[in-house]
Amino acid sequence: MNCEKCQELMGDLVDGGLSREDKSTLSLHLEECLACADVRNDLQSIVAFCRSHRGEYSAPPNAEGLWLRIRNVIEAETQPASKASAARRQGKSFWSGLMSRSWELSMPQLAASAAAIVLVVSLGTTVGLRRWDNARGTGPVASSPRAEAATRVSDRMWQQQQAINYWNQRVETNKVRWNQGMRDTFDRNLKVIDQAVNDSLNELNRDPHDEVSEEMLNAALNEKLALLREFSDL
Amino acid sequence: MSIRLLSTPLRFSGAHIFSALVVCAVLYSFGSPTANAQNRVSKRFPVGKNVRVELKNISGTITVESWNRDEIKITASLETPNANVYPKLMGECVSIDVMGDNRGRGDVGDVNFKIQVPQDSSVDIETRRGDITVSNIRGGLVRAHISTEGDIKLLDISATQVLAQNTIGDIHFDGGFSRGGTYQFQSTKGNISVRIPSDSAFRLVAAAPTKKIALGEFWHNGFKTLGDGRKFVGDVGDGRSSVMVTTFQGSITFIRR
Repeated sequence: MNCEKCQELMGDLVDGGLSREDKSTLSLHLEECLACADVRNDLQSIVAFCRSHRGEYSAPPNAEGLWLRIRNVIEAETQPASKASAARRQGKSFWSGLMSRSWELSMPQLAASAAAIVLVVSLGTTVGLRRWDNARGTGPVASSPRAEAATRVSDRMWQQQQAINYWNQRVETNKVRWNQGMRDTFDRNLKVIDQAVNDSLNELNRDPHDEVSEEMLNAALNEKLALLREFSDL
Repeated sequence: MSIRLLSTPLRFSGAHIFSALVVCAVLYSFGSPTANAQNRVSKRFPVGKNVRVELKNISGTITVESWNRDEIKITASLETPNANVYPKLMGECVSIDVMGDNRGRGDVGDVNFKIQVPQDSSVDIETRRGDITVSNIRGGLVRAHISTEGDIKLLDISATQVLAQNTIGDIHFDGGFSRGGTYQFQSTKGNISVRIPSDSAFRLVAAAPTKKIALGEFWHNGFKTLGDGRKFVGDVGDGRSSVMVTTFQGSITFIRR
């Protein structure tokens, strides 16, 4: 008996299902072959362990349902790939069919087709150019330079106003400590600066591109801010 | 005895009255400096050349002038005795911070300063209110800043950097522009006059929304007029120094020295 035949009969040997003749032949081989003897020993210990722990590892409930779910998951994962490959195959066939197809058109049909193509291309070009102009801000939808200048000035005014409000609050808190003369002086000077701010704003309303007025407005606002900051410390 | 003395009418001769008046006058003349001394602070600092003086005042007049001594003398007249004035010498800088020394103490009244400095000193002065006069200074910097009201007079000044700014009040500069120097004069409501030598060379930016800009003999056709005459930009001579003059509600005048 060789090792291959021996290992085929090993299961029956452990189960006790061998004939007397096979059993004696196998025993002779096992006495001579240490490798097969080790296999038999391992198998016997596994079977013995399983018998001694019978019932501790029960099968999951509804084992059939579990296998069904596993199979569904596997099928769901494999389906899109097969669908995509099917679509590719279909597309390829469409294009190859289109390219290999022959067309027969009468003169009116040819003229109508040409006119349709010209119409579609001109429409596409018009829409594209309009979008391009809008994106660059030169189209009719873009704001006018006058409005832009006004927005720029109002943005700056807003930013300055935030700072002015902050310092104004601090000045109002400290104002009670000043004498009457200092309060009058402060109010009088603030009024003068506000007048300068208003004058510049009026000029800018008349001409939003007036750089001199814009500079004067900036200078006046900075001066107001400086006055408030200095008096907030008093 | 005492009764007789009390009932006797007192008689004074003219000599007695005169003597009494003399005694009163002498007592008053001794007494008044003592009274003044309570409202006056005077301090001297020996310094070298190129010293710097920094003053931060609240209210009052300030006069700075040069003298031929290597020392700085500060004399402060206090309107009320409760104002703190502590001049300090830190390295080559004499500092007087009335703002800081009296912070949180309420109204301390006017403090009027007279400061005498070496001619080469730099002068940096700021106050909330009151006139500033600086004269005969040849240092690196002359700065006069009034937050609100007060005239600024800068007389016989030859500094490389001059800054003068107020809100209400006139500014007068009388001096020379140094090569590479910068000069800025700004008032919100005040007239600005600049008196300089006829050979002055500078690049000018002058702006006045009132259009009252008179450059006198410094005007030439090379000046660029902006904003319909509200701003002038141009070089006088080789434009070696930079001059910026701005007034919102006043006039700008250049005068030959």
